[in-house]
Amino acid sequence: MTPHTLTPAVARRDSTSESRVALVRPKKPLRWITTAAVAAAVVGLHAVAIEGTDFKPGLLVDGWKGMAAFIGDAFPPDLSWEKTLRPGLEATLVTLWIGLLGTTLSVPSALLLAALAANNTSPHRLVYQAARAILSFFRAVPDIVFALIFVTAVGLGPFAGVLALICHNTGVMGKLWAESMEEIDAGPQEALRTAGANRIQQVANATLPMVVPQFVGLLLYRFDVNVRSSLVLGLVGAGGIGLLINQSIKSFQFDSMLTHILIVLVLIIVVDQFSAWIRRRLAA
Amino acid sequence: MPLSVHGLRKSFNGRTVLKGVDFSVAAGELVAFLGANGSGKSTTLRCVMGITNPDSGSISIDGTALETLQGRELQQARQRMAMIFQKIHLVPRRTALDNVCAGALSRIPTVRSLSSLLLPADVQQEALDCLDRVGLADRAFDRVGRLSGGQQQRVAVARALCQRADVVLADEPVSALDPHAAEQVMALLRELAHSEGLAVAAVLHQPDLALRYADRSIGLLHGSMTFDLPSTEITADHLDTLYAPDRDVSDRDVSDRTQAA
Repeated sequence: MTPHTLTPAVARRDSTSESRVALVRPKKPLRWITTAAVAAAVVGLHAVAIEGTDFKPGLLVDGWKGMAAFIGDAFPPDLSWEKTLRPGLEATLVTLWIGLLGTTLSVPSALLLAALAANNTSPHRLVYQAARAILSFFRAVPDIVFALIFVTAVGLGPFAGVLALICHNTGVMGKLWAESMEEIDAGPQEALRTAGANRIQQVANATLPMVVPQFVGLLLYRFDVNVRSSLVLGLVGAGGIGLLINQSIKSFQFDSMLTHILIVLVLIIVVDQFSAWIRRRLAA
Repeated sequence: MPLSVHGLRKSFNGRTVLKGVDFSVAAGELVAFLGANGSGKSTTLRCVMGITNPDSGSISIDGTALETLQGRELQQARQRMAMIFQKIHLVPRRTALDNVCAGALSRIPTVRSLSSLLLPADVQQEALDCLDRVGLADRAFDRVGRLSGGQQQRVAVARALCQRADVVLADEPVSALDPHAAEQVMALLRELAHSEGLAVAAVLHQPDLALRYADRSIGLLHGSMTFDLPSTEITADHLDTLYAPDRDVSDRDVSDRTQAA
């Protein structure tokens, strides 16, 4: 390719080739070495990870019969109303309620911690660090561990699941909210500070109203995640459809298990569509 | 004098931005600050407002030097000044009325300012009056994000009024606006100065606006004042000095505009 076929980024006053600016990209001699090093590191990490997880596709090929038998047992799904469908639908509602309460009841604590853990709204550096630490703790402990802890206090059942989700969701939503507050334009808050508003007034009248759309979007996302988490919580005795799935596996009723999983599939799609619809309305 | 400033100096990381700036703004007067980028005009305003701390210098409001005040008294003295920003800095999702009420926050108990539903009725009425003074009472319950840029800046002016400020500092108030909206906002600032007795200081990037609307213009070059004259006495030569580094591109421009003004 000759230089004449390239279009320089700078428009020239006349188009004779003699007056053109020569297009010469500055050479960066170390660039390919960096690229090669990054590629080698990524490949190396994957090799170690494959070793560490016993990742052997051959096993899957050899063992396909076991899987086929298991799935074969599950078909056709058990659609008997009294034995499987009705309990499944009732338990699904419980799962939905666990996810709903786990999300909404964590709003006050998440909001408070988010305001303390965002550097543009936190009153003091120490408070900021403390709030970040609390959020990290609630996020680091998995909801299933919280559920096991609460089961020892309030017994098996959905209530333990709600408590577990409140704790874990406080940590995750608090962090997501704190970050979205840090990302918004600081101008309106500064304007209110120069007008003599105190810190709480600045947050209530500038920062929070600015982040409402992001907050609601994240809340819906967490509702979606929490409904799915509450399924898993059912497996450790926190009630809901997860408990029924666990029971049907343990009693080898794989056709009932499949029915429950199909109900869950419908639930997940409905929740997903609902939150997408709300988010679309918010964006408009 | 509502606002007088003496010997204002400021440097950032060893680079001197203000080399002793002295000026005052009288009640009922609109003063424009002119200068090239980096001449120190915005820094001057930010020092006066207390957003940036000057290295030295004295800022007095109604004869009281701010550096003699502390804590609550200093805060109260500062609240007699209101700032208008280039980027407007309103909350787009809230109504014009709620945004204007925010100017009064320093007079509202914290618990009553947590939601617009709790705001005292007299504050809301006052905010509506302020919106009426900028000609936007009919848009009071529209979200600010739905207003045009010029209307938004007028809402910001109403917020400054609702703060009951005697001094209004405007940092490039019209730079983000189209020419027609810029004229409207400048006319509003001049009217507030002339008919309501406010002391208004505005940093401007357009000399022609300064010459047509400001009673007095102050030129800043590399952190020093080159002139402080009634706008009618400013000539093309004055402006040429300010924008000299850009002369090869803009000197014909500037003198043309001056003649037009």
